[in-house]
Amino acid sequence: MITPVAVLMLILPAVGALLSVVLKRRARPAAVMTATITTGLAVWLTLSTFGAPYTRMLGDLPWLHGIVDTPILGIFVDPLASLMLLVVVPIGLLTVLYSTAYLTDKNREHPVGSEHYGRYYFWLLLFITSMVGMAVSPNFLQFFAFWELTTLCSWALISFHQNERSLRAGFKALLMTSAGSAFFLLAILIIFVRTNSFDFSALSKLPDGLRSWVFLFFLIAAWAKAAQVPLQTWLPDAMEAPTPISAYLHAAAMVKAGVYLMARTVSSGWGIPPKISLLMGGMALLTIFVALSFYFVQDDLKRLLAYSTIAHLGYVLLGIAIGGLGATLGFRGGVLHIICHGYSKATLFFCAGNIAYVTGTRNISELRGLGRSMPLTATAFFIGLLSVTGVPPFACFWSKFMILSGAMRLGGPIGPLILVLILSETLISFGWMLYVGQKIFLGAPLATAQVPSDIPWAMNVTLIILMIGCVAAPLVGMPLVQLMGK
Amino acid sequence: MVNAVHHVEVSIVILIVGSLVSLLFARRRKLCGWVSFAFVCASSVYTGLAVAGACTVASGEHSILSLPQLGSSLTLRIDPLSAIFLAIVAVIALLSTLYSVRYMEHYAHDKVAKFFPILLLCVASMTGVLVCTDFLFFLIFWESMTLTSYFLVTFESENAASQRAGLKYFIITHGATLCMAAAALLLWRTSGSFSFDAIRQTLSAMLTARPFLANAIIFLFFLGFATKAGLLPMGDWLPDAHPVAPSGMSATLSGALVKLGIYGLIRLFCSFLVVSPSLKIWGIILALAGTGSLFVGTLTALRQTDTKRLMAFHTIGQIGYICLGLGVGVYCLDMYPALATIALAGAILHAVNHACFKSCLFLGAGSVLYRTGERDMDKLGGLAAFMPYTTGTTTIASLSIAGVPPLNGFTSKWLIVAGCLLTGMRFPLFLVLGLIALFISLATLASFLKVLGSVFLGRADENLGIKEVPISMIVPQVVLAALCVLLGIFPQLVLRFVGHAIEGVTAMPVAGVNASRMWGGLFLIDGSPVAFWSPLAILTVLAVLALLSYAIQRAGGARTRSVPVWYCGEEHAAATVRYPASSFYLPFKHAFQGIYPSGKVHVPKFPAPLRRALDFDQWLYRPTVKVIDTAADRISRTHVGILQIYLLWIVIGAIVVTGILLWVRG
Amino acid sequence: MTVWLIKSLLLCLLNVAAALFLSPLCEGIMRKLRAAIHSRIGPPIWQPYWDLLKLLGKEDLRSTGGIVYASLPAFTLGSALLLAALIPMGTAAPLAFAGDMIVVIYVAAMSGVLLMLSGFASASPYASIGSSREMMMLLSVEPILAIALSVGAFKAKTLAVGGMVNWQVQNGPCISMAIAGVAFFLALQAVAGKLPFDIAEADQEIMGGPLVEQSGPRLALFRWAMWVKQLVLAFLLVEVFFPWPHLGSYLIDLIATIVKVLIVLVLVAVIDAVNPRLRIDQALGYYMRVAFSSLAALAFAVIGK
Repeated sequence: MITPVAVLMLILPAVGALLSVVLKRRARPAAVMTATITTGLAVWLTLSTFGAPYTRMLGDLPWLHGIVDTPILGIFVDPLASLMLLVVVPIGLLTVLYSTAYLTDKNREHPVGSEHYGRYYFWLLLFITSMVGMAVSPNFLQFFAFWELTTLCSWALISFHQNERSLRAGFKALLMTSAGSAFFLLAILIIFVRTNSFDFSALSKLPDGLRSWVFLFFLIAAWAKAAQVPLQTWLPDAMEAPTPISAYLHAAAMVKAGVYLMARTVSSGWGIPPKISLLMGGMALLTIFVALSFYFVQDDLKRLLAYSTIAHLGYVLLGIAIGGLGATLGFRGGVLHIICHGYSKATLFFCAGNIAYVTGTRNISELRGLGRSMPLTATAFFIGLLSVTGVPPFACFWSKFMILSGAMRLGGPIGPLILVLILSETLISFGWMLYVGQKIFLGAPLATAQVPSDIPWAMNVTLIILMIGCVAAPLVGMPLVQLMGK
Repeated sequence: MVNAVHHVEVSIVILIVGSLVSLLFARRRKLCGWVSFAFVCASSVYTGLAVAGACTVASGEHSILSLPQLGSSLTLRIDPLSAIFLAIVAVIALLSTLYSVRYMEHYAHDKVAKFFPILLLCVASMTGVLVCTDFLFFLIFWESMTLTSYFLVTFESENAASQRAGLKYFIITHGATLCMAAAALLLWRTSGSFSFDAIRQTLSAMLTARPFLANAIIFLFFLGFATKAGLLPMGDWLPDAHPVAPSGMSATLSGALVKLGIYGLIRLFCSFLVVSPSLKIWGIILALAGTGSLFVGTLTALRQTDTKRLMAFHTIGQIGYICLGLGVGVYCLDMYPALATIALAGAILHAVNHACFKSCLFLGAGSVLYRTGERDMDKLGGLAAFMPYTTGTTTIASLSIAGVPPLNGFTSKWLIVAGCLLTGMRFPLFLVLGLIALFISLATLASFLKVLGSVFLGRADENLGIKEVPISMIVPQVVLAALCVLLGIFPQLVLRFVGHAIEGVTAMPVAGVNASRMWGGLFLIDGSPVAFWSPLAILTVLAVLALLSYAIQRAGGARTRSVPVWYCGEEHAAATVRYPASSFYLPFKHAFQGIYPSGKVHVPKFPAPLRRALDFDQWLYRPTVKVIDTAADRISRTHVGILQIYLLWIVIGAIVVTGILLWVRG
Repeated sequence: MTVWLIKSLLLCLLNVAAALFLSPLCEGIMRKLRAAIHSRIGPPIWQPYWDLLKLLGKEDLRSTGGIVYASLPAFTLGSALLLAALIPMGTAAPLAFAGDMIVVIYVAAMSGVLLMLSGFASASPYASIGSSREMMMLLSVEPILAIALSVGAFKAKTLAVGGMVNWQVQNGPCISMAIAGVAFFLALQAVAGKLPFDIAEADQEIMGGPLVEQSGPRLALFRWAMWVKQLVLAFLLVEVFFPWPHLGSYLIDLIATIVKVLIVLVLVAVIDAVNPRLRIDQALGYYMRVAFSSLAALAFAVIGK
């Protein structure tokens, strides 16, 4: 039962993508339908494999006969994959739902005619497929295939508006993530050459010195994908994408692929050398602060959120690094942060979308007093920002707290050092975000912001669900992460 | 006695449900208020039952949720100390909600949907804070309380001042919460658990093993609680946040919410720490912090002309009194248990009393605001003629906060000052602190005489159409004023439970305070009885003597006649010659200028070179791409169109790849 | 119990009666003395009594209505008399069980507070200015009383006023108590509202300050309250700081106390007669210096002198 469901879950969005191309202007219902069913399947899959990881190999590559005897393509659902599925598929559905209302000619920022629907939903659904495929990959090869597919979709979606800036941004994203992918490929090749296998477990069969290199290559790939320092610059530019895409690709899903890769490699065998862990953690901290430093100069709301995303992916990597150093709690916190941050940041991006939809601008300086005309958006934005900045009782508090607890499990001065750094970052980013939130939503409305607000129901429903997610994400994630670890 | 805990759980659930239900009625202002009030009533009844069940002995524990990985579990428990504060929260929440039902009409532009539901959640989280025995969940309740109150402070969305105040409030208190989180995590590192019991054991073990770390942790906790309590300088948020909140919320903030900081401090210093000589230092720090707050806070209050801002500064001052009492108590715990109980009883009693009179004052200021739309005392005057109930309750509360005997503020101040003076006989620093406290008590009086004199007394020009506020707003004020009088005359009523709380927290008998007599009143014992205060006797004698004086006054049978005010023969409108609030005590205010420095916060400027260094695109990626581009251009020149040369490339490439593979495998 | 109750009630009555009926006499003596210094004949010693009697019968003109305003004079005099019941006046304090030095300090401020309230309530700007000044004087004077009394408390290790007197009697004079007594005496000048500190009333500039709108029996009660207060505080000064010679004979001691009180009041009157009025800021500065100097008493007490 599980295998057909998993395969169906993988195929369905792809089918939806093809349907979209066929149906063109009427692509929306098909897209919503397939995404909905996929979500149902993902939830079912999570429930049915809860506590019992499931592996099923389905096929192999004919030209590898004799070298690799076991099948290569297959399905692998463990708690980590389940958690990833619960991030990418439901938020994917919400993105599709939101897009149906957002990408119309009523949009004041970028009116989109119905002739573009086919193209848009094709790439979006294909992206969902690729994320699902990546999440359930049983080995590095399949992982890499879908990883590259996400890059491709990302390029297409960032450049969706096809103007000068978005084309540039899309190409930049493609270039930088591909540069990372090259290192991924290199790492896979090394593993394959040494062990004749693409399995995740093959990592631990490598000799120590080589394993360090392989991990380093994986890490570089992850940095590129997750927009970490020094490869972070593509993400803010990618904000040229339509807002739902930013919400999905650049907050919830694609950038999470990078950290998912690290979580995967670290948790399969726990053989990560300490110095690589230290490098990962150190760079994560550096990323967090570099991203923080860019907060204060952003006037574009989406770019601000993008920098925040960069910082929070740093948190995830920090948690994983702490896990790599021996404190499983930190690893769990990091992985929990994937889901918590996914929902919270998506909320914020969708709010930014609402604002752009209604006012036609994303510039913080041009916005004020929107709370009166958009109470729901205001509520969602505040919940999202409180969640993202780790204010209890919202989602990210739990994951941040677990990461910090994990850090405290480490010996020596590292724990308290991380504690001080993270808490100071938390306070500063919290203060700034709150300031921005107040500026946009509270105060007397500006003339430019006084617009009749008839936000389509689909956008509001999305926000309400995400608000619930901002509170409930740890409830879902906590049982899953409890199953992870040595 | 698990029952008591269950009552509290029911109460919290009622509040959360009530919050959602009142959201449904949000379109109708009054109905929403009454629905919320009904829910708060129900929850207060349950909280009251819980308090009744746990005010003498601690209830049993009840564990709801467990997170074994983090060593944490949501465990609830009520002991007499939390019972006292629960009672404060329940009473103040009930009265401010009742008050707000009509009061919120004042805000025509803002929907009550962002007031009542959030107020209920705020009360729920305050209740949660008080019954939690696990620090992780304590923090969660604590921060929920902060964030709900933040939304209540910024309620008036078009008022720039309230936005600024809210931002300041949330950022400062969030920083404080993070300090506490850091402290809890540092402790957890050793203990592996967040439960209060574990904190107690670990902290006491740590104080001997690693005193520096332990004291750092205590300092972080202190910072967290003191910020919420409003001790200066951390309490700088308070004078901004209180005035701009709707008055019902100001009353809750001042009456109940900042008290939780005090609750935390008492827990920390009396319960988490074992009695040891190192406590003395902390006692002195607390007492000095308290004295600093009461001195600066009250003298700054004297300068204010905004009613609610003035009261907010007095909150800082009165919290200073509580903290001073607490500090003296903590100082004495080790060596003079009897004196410790005196000061602690004073501190806790003052927390209760402050809840009564300060909430009453904020509600009174709210009533004035409701009817006149004005908080500026310079523009108000003579309201006594139009608003007799508000005037009466505010007068009682003002005299009470100023410590005029026999109102309730006096008893607790007497305990605190007596504790200071008696301890001062062993350690003279406290003598000075006690004298400062006495002096500041008078300054409080001066400040509130200014409020009474300029807002209520005197004469207004003509009838400006100002009426007394509706009955649902009068009732809470009257109840609070009545409590001020009642607790003033019969402090024994509360002191009994305060005694249980102190015994429960410090595990020491209350040896210093004897409150068993009714007519004889209270006396303090330090070896022998050394200090006396009998409110009932004093009140009786005062009443008799006043009657006697009245008899003398009427003895001549003089007739009374109403006359206009005499302006030396000239005719003036009352408002033009009114003595404005800003002119009160001018020479005195000049003497204490600049004791409350204020500054502006600027966004930190990021150094430009670093900004350029962080712009990787500029100096790394674009040049790299350019280099590659040029290189590719160069390489493309090898496309010469001659087959043999292409074949050569292929052969060379194959050799290189094979070489690499061989090298890697071998 | 009953005996104790009757005894304290009787003592209470005695103190109150003494304060009530002796205070105008003292005022009369002070007026006479001032006249003598001014080379005038002055009013007869009994004049304050006649003043009071006459005022009690005069018409009561009120600028403000309301029951609270009407009852303020009675409470003002009542609280002044309450102070009399709280301190020892030749004998032990009758209400010692009900109030210690902290209570005494607060009750001493009470009559002033009520006077100020009636000043604010009377709606006259002169009264408001006067009340504001009165409050400032209170702010600068009460700390001195508190410091002086706390020196006694520190010495006697008790907050009860009676305990301080006993300690003084048993241990004899000491430097700290002497300094504290002087400070107390300096403060008394302002508490009694005498020159150079009659700034709150300042008849010539603000026409009686808080009392400007008071007339008839109300004025009588306010005046009486002030005289009672000045007498009672003089008693407190003498009892706590200068209780010698304590011979053990009740009558002689009582006479000695009364003589000492008279001496104190005469001194007050002399200072009053020879000084011009200070400005309020000068007075504040003066008393701030006195307060800081009186801390020296505390310092002496701490080192055991």
